[in-house]
Amino acid sequence: MATSVFLSNLSALTVNSVSLVDQCTGITFVNLKESLDVTTLADTSRVNKGGLFNNEVTMTLFQSYIASETYATLAALVGTKTTVVATVIDGAVTKVFTLANCYLESMPVISASLGEMSTIDITFTGGSYSVS
Amino acid sequence: MKHIIESEKLGKIGEEYDAEAAAATGINVDALIAGGFISIQKAPKSAKTKSDPEEK
Repeated sequence: MATSVFLSNLSALTVNSVSLVDQCTGITFVNLKESLDVTTLADTSRVNKGGLFNNEVTMTLFQSYIASETYATLAALVGTKTTVVATVIDGAVTKVFTLANCYLESMPVISASLGEMSTIDITFTGGSYSVS
Repeated sequence: MKHIIESEKLGKIGEEYDAEAAAATGINVDALIAGGFISIQKAPKSAKTKSDPEEK
C-alpha cells in the first residue's frame, strides 16, 4: 500500500503571501463541512447532510523574532483575515491548497521551555477553500 | 502610491508589490506593512514649472 511520507513534500507554505516553509515543522489543512442532523421519526438511523464549510489550517512554527520571520509575519494578523497557501509535491503530482480570508484568532507571543527550541501552534479558521 | 518589497520572504527586494491584486486574493496588506515586508513609496512631487513671462 502506498503511503505519503512527509520528509520535504511541503514545498511551499505562505501565510499572508510570506514564505514560512523554513519555519514550519508541521501542518494540518482540513477541508470541513459541518454536518446537520436531518433525522426524522421515519428513520431508523441518524441521517446527516452538509451544512456550512468550516475549514481550518493548524501549523507548528519555530518562533523567531528577527525581521521577516514568524513573529513579524503573524503579529499584525491576529484578529484579522488573511490567506494561507500550502503546496505539496508527491512524485509527479503537485497540489496547491489555498484557504482565503481565514481568521487568526490568537498567537502565542512566548512559548518557551528550558533547553528546547521555541515553537508556536497557530490556527486559521473559516475562509474559502480551494485546491488546484 | 507604490508598494515596494522589503523582504526576500515576499519576493525580490526593491520590486514593486501589487497590493491591490494581493488584497483581492485575501492578503492583509496592512499586516505586510506593519511587519516590514513592504514599504510605501509616495509618488514624487512634480517639479514646479516656471511661467513664461511673455505669456501675460
